[in-house]
Amino acid sequence: MSNADQFRELIEAYALGALDPQERASLEAHLAAGCADCAKALEEARWLVSQLAYLAPDAEPSELLRGRLLQTVRAEARAARPGKSSASVPFWMWGAVAALLLFTFYTTWETAQLHIDIEKTNAQATSEIAKRHELEEKLALAQREAIILTDRHSVKIPMAAGSKDMPKLEAMWHAKLGIVVAGQNVPMPSGNRTLQLWLIPKTPGGKPIPSMMVRPDADGKFMLLVANPPDNMQSTKALAITEEPPGGSAQPTSKPIWVGAIG
Amino acid sequence: MFLALLTSLGSGPAPGEVSPDAILVQSLLQQDVNAFEQLYDRHSRSVYSLVLRILQQAATAEEVVQDIFLQLWRNAASYDSERGPFVPWLLTLARNRALDHLRLKSERQRRREDQTDELPSVAAAPQYERELDERRRIARVRALMGGLQPQQKRAIELAYFEGLSHSEIAERLKEPLGTVKSWIRNGLLRLKEGLQTAS
Repeated sequence: MSNADQFRELIEAYALGALDPQERASLEAHLAAGCADCAKALEEARWLVSQLAYLAPDAEPSELLRGRLLQTVRAEARAARPGKSSASVPFWMWGAVAALLLFTFYTTWETAQLHIDIEKTNAQATSEIAKRHELEEKLALAQREAIILTDRHSVKIPMAAGSKDMPKLEAMWHAKLGIVVAGQNVPMPSGNRTLQLWLIPKTPGGKPIPSMMVRPDADGKFMLLVANPPDNMQSTKALAITEEPPGGSAQPTSKPIWVGAIG
Repeated sequence: MFLALLTSLGSGPAPGEVSPDAILVQSLLQQDVNAFEQLYDRHSRSVYSLVLRILQQAATAEEVVQDIFLQLWRNAASYDSERGPFVPWLLTLARNRALDHLRLKSERQRRREDQTDELPSVAAAPQYERELDERRRIARVRALMGGLQPQQKRAIELAYFEGLSHSEIAERLKEPLGTVKSWIRNGLLRLKEGLQTAS
């Protein structure tokens, strides 16, 4: 199954808003990379999900709500409409008109200031909520990685390096929560190239299955989480990591730097 | 009553035609109160039914429906008829606002008054939808969902009406995560296939 096929399977759940943070982030990155097939599938999936609204039991809003809304809308429409001019305004009224204009300018200015304040507050609230969501997602990922690394049900997979210059890596595979691969003192791939994980199937002649990509940090550390590995670990013979061009590859383009046999 | 209302909407426009809803929304840009009144009368029941199902409280549901229609009135330009039909767009907007309210309420946060940044993305109707009569489509959606396994339907409803994620649904139903994912995906694919067949 190609990368695009894997992401295609997530589209309906994404449109439904049911993906967990890790999967959602992966799919959004894939969409941002410009996959036209997935973007089109997402538009249709959004329509499909919107049809679920018809499952709601029939209900009718009160007449009061209709009245309130129309009252508000009429008032706003009147306020937006320019006033009628009149040639028969008595001379003595111009003073009152001038005063009214001054008052209107002042209240308009005050309203504009108020709107600016409200917009600033709204923008700040939006930013805070976004930051919070980001932190929650990071926390959820960190918790998940910690459980995978420490749970007694996780299977340890040592990953030997093909070169003596490279450090050994270690992967942990938890049947329900996913795979975590951790590395230290890992040299940075050249240019914008990336490290990519592959799942090597046991099936004779089976092609390596592309998985997540990662680049180590400035200290040479990385932690890679695969949230949705194959359900059955027994169908995988080994894990391997290669260096690939930016954005990853559908099939390996270089020899594995690390390989870890399973079982 | 709900079905009768939606029946009155008639079939969707043929490709290239502009729908009555799109014309009404366009009129909102000229502050046309009559157009707003018509849009409200055409869609307020479906919007209210959905929001009430999510929030489970009539007073709060009316408050949210009021926000939705005022948002439509004040930001009519945010709907682009060339990118998709109006009703799915409106229902998506309604669901998003109701779920926002549900989440903010659960976090004891104040509701924000203007959320123009949370308008729904495009929902493109597939060819089979354009050819399907509105009344038949609603009845078909309900019948198809009624034909799913109860747990499958329950999982989809928890995601749609309560905004729960795969993991949260698995925890709520005490079922394996993979099972919940399969239920939801297969259920939605069956719904899609059923709608295609209906056309």
